[in-house]
Amino acid sequence: MNADSPVPSPRSDSPKGYGWTLIACVITTLVATPLREHLALTNIVMLFLLTVLLVAVRFGRGPAVLAAFLSVALFDFFFVPPRLSFTVNDVQYLVTFAVMLAVALITGQLAAGLRRQADSASLKEQQTRALYEMARDLAGALTIGQVSEIVRRFLHDGFALDAALLLPDEQDNLKPIAQLDSRLHIEQRFALIAFDQGEPVEDYSLSGYGYGAGYFPLKAPMKVRGVIVFAPNSQNPHAVREQKPLLATLSSVVAIAVERLHYVEVAQSTQVQIVSERLRSSILSALSHDLRTPLTALVGLADSLALAKPPLSAEAMETAEALREQALRLSSLVGNLLDMARLHAGRVTLRKEWQLIEEVIGASIQILGRSLANHQIRVALPKDMPLVEFDAVLIERVFCNLLENAAKYAPPDSLIEIAGNVKGGYVEVSICDQGPGFPPDKQHALFEMFVRGVPESATPGVGLGLAICRAIVDAHGGKIYAANRPEGGACVTFTLPSGTPPTVEEES
Amino acid sequence: MSEISPSVVIVEDEKQIRRFVRSALEAEGCRVFEAESGKQGLVEAGTRKPDLIVLDLGLPDLDGVEFIRDLRGWSAVPILILSARSTENDKIVALDAGADDYLTKPFGVGELLARVRALLRRQGKSSESSPVVSFGDVQADLSKRVVTRSGEPVHLTQIEYRLLAILMANPGKVLTHRHLLREVWGPSFVESNHYLRIYVGHLRQKLEADPAQPKYLLTETGVGYRFKS
Repeated sequence: MNADSPVPSPRSDSPKGYGWTLIACVITTLVATPLREHLALTNIVMLFLLTVLLVAVRFGRGPAVLAAFLSVALFDFFFVPPRLSFTVNDVQYLVTFAVMLAVALITGQLAAGLRRQADSASLKEQQTRALYEMARDLAGALTIGQVSEIVRRFLHDGFALDAALLLPDEQDNLKPIAQLDSRLHIEQRFALIAFDQGEPVEDYSLSGYGYGAGYFPLKAPMKVRGVIVFAPNSQNPHAVREQKPLLATLSSVVAIAVERLHYVEVAQSTQVQIVSERLRSSILSALSHDLRTPLTALVGLADSLALAKPPLSAEAMETAEALREQALRLSSLVGNLLDMARLHAGRVTLRKEWQLIEEVIGASIQILGRSLANHQIRVALPKDMPLVEFDAVLIERVFCNLLENAAKYAPPDSLIEIAGNVKGGYVEVSICDQGPGFPPDKQHALFEMFVRGVPESATPGVGLGLAICRAIVDAHGGKIYAANRPEGGACVTFTLPSGTPPTVEEES
Repeated sequence: MSEISPSVVIVEDEKQIRRFVRSALEAEGCRVFEAESGKQGLVEAGTRKPDLIVLDLGLPDLDGVEFIRDLRGWSAVPILILSARSTENDKIVALDAGADDYLTKPFGVGELLARVRALLRRQGKSSESSPVVSFGDVQADLSKRVVTRSGEPVHLTQIEYRLLAILMANPGKVLTHRHLLREVWGPSFVESNHYLRIYVGHLRQKLEADPAQPKYLLTETGVGYRFKS
């Protein structure tokens, strides 16, 4: 909206109008006086009535009434015999006066009414056009600051109103979005009521200034996006009350603009997130490729030494075996570090599916193969264990890390037990061994990165295994904790939300 | 294995990996041909008519999956994938494109040879496939649709039987979830992974000594299942 096309306020009966009325009546008298000889008095009456009509059209109701009385008086004084006196010889002129006054008043009223209607129609039309233009501007707004500026200009120019946009922050406190808005007296509690209830709140009577602000919720299709405060400035203290329907419309237009901007922001941040996610995963997979390729060669070449012909000496064979073991250790360390980077770098994308816990346990035991060869493993799951929704690859990692730990610390030939059950909305799985258990003061810290039960111990590891387990279980919305069994041995328990498994139709 | 030594083409850009894979396979009695790029690999596969292709998924010149699709256009030779990528999705795509099995780097010579043997054995067997398959204490007669465990008949439902038959028909081959769902339940079930999970669970209950530590119906986590005879 341009500043040079203000919306006119309704024409009021100004003192100027009365002055002009006076002049108009005098002129009529002056014009009619010379015609007195040639015209019948009835036609002079007509001239006065015409004047009243014109005054009514031009200046409204008040001046029309004045013109009516003035016309009768002037007519009586200057034209009805005896002239230049208010006395009347013929009583029938009284009827003329009465009729003249009545006609003048009625036509005046009607004309003024028409005038007012025309005025208000044109005002409405201008307001509608201004509102439409503002909506168009809002549709092009790119920031919330622009929205606020457009609204403020619109109201200031046409309605003698100030406005402030209040949007909720993370704690749902309504904050004005522009510095300028702080000059308005804003009652936070009214704003909050409007925001919570989604209904306009007005504090005309409560503010103590004799006039008050209106708090309109920004009701967008999805939810209430904030509150817009309308405060009258000094020109018209009642502007808020008078313009209530328009302000309600305005609020919903602004609400839609705010919501649109919200989704623009969401789309942009999603875009950024996708790009950075893609970058991260391509870096990680390149790193993984570059680190694993030489390790693969190392493991394979060490292995193939064993196949060399003629066969190597026993000592050289041992060296080859050691090479292979070390390369595999390095590889698992690299794997852990890359996993940790992946899990810590941002939101983990889980490929959750409904499946059996038993299956992942089996797969983990199969993967660990040789490293579990020196231990007995017992899996005790209830027969009616439900399907659980999880990312199989990641939970397999949890089992592998926990089983590997158990095998590392528990004495050979001891029993590693895996048990599971359902407990109040969670599926609980524990892996217990018969080793030395965790140091009692460290049971929580163990899940931090690079924390080991016994620092610098001879048992290989860097303390990432449990941290990875926790990151994975956390991502699933579960919990993981360590404890020692009363009869000795370490026990790690983790939970996964059990949810509502999908139904499987039985075969007919 | 047949009397003449089987031939294997290795498609891998890393020289040291080619070297040890070659020496391991030669020690196993294979004739080995090397290719260091995908295009060269396709040429080798066309001219040597190998019994097995060992393919690295991360080739510099050609995406491994494209290699497989191209090859599958004119050859049914078994493909063993070597994958450095740990994301399951790459493996699934490669397997769905027609690869038979995969090894994740790093792998030992032992694992490599076990996979190679399984694939070569299958290749040799396909002409004279016997209707009776046995594993552990289970015997399955596919022609009579009878499955027994320690001589006792085992009752399998229609779906359980179909699932078992498909797995047994592809020993050593990794069958993706999607593939199994489509073959057993039909195309409209390819997203219903939990069906597959439940029915594999049933088969293990009925056929494996310890269902939690299966020896024959193996899980390839995030990818699919493999029948190991």
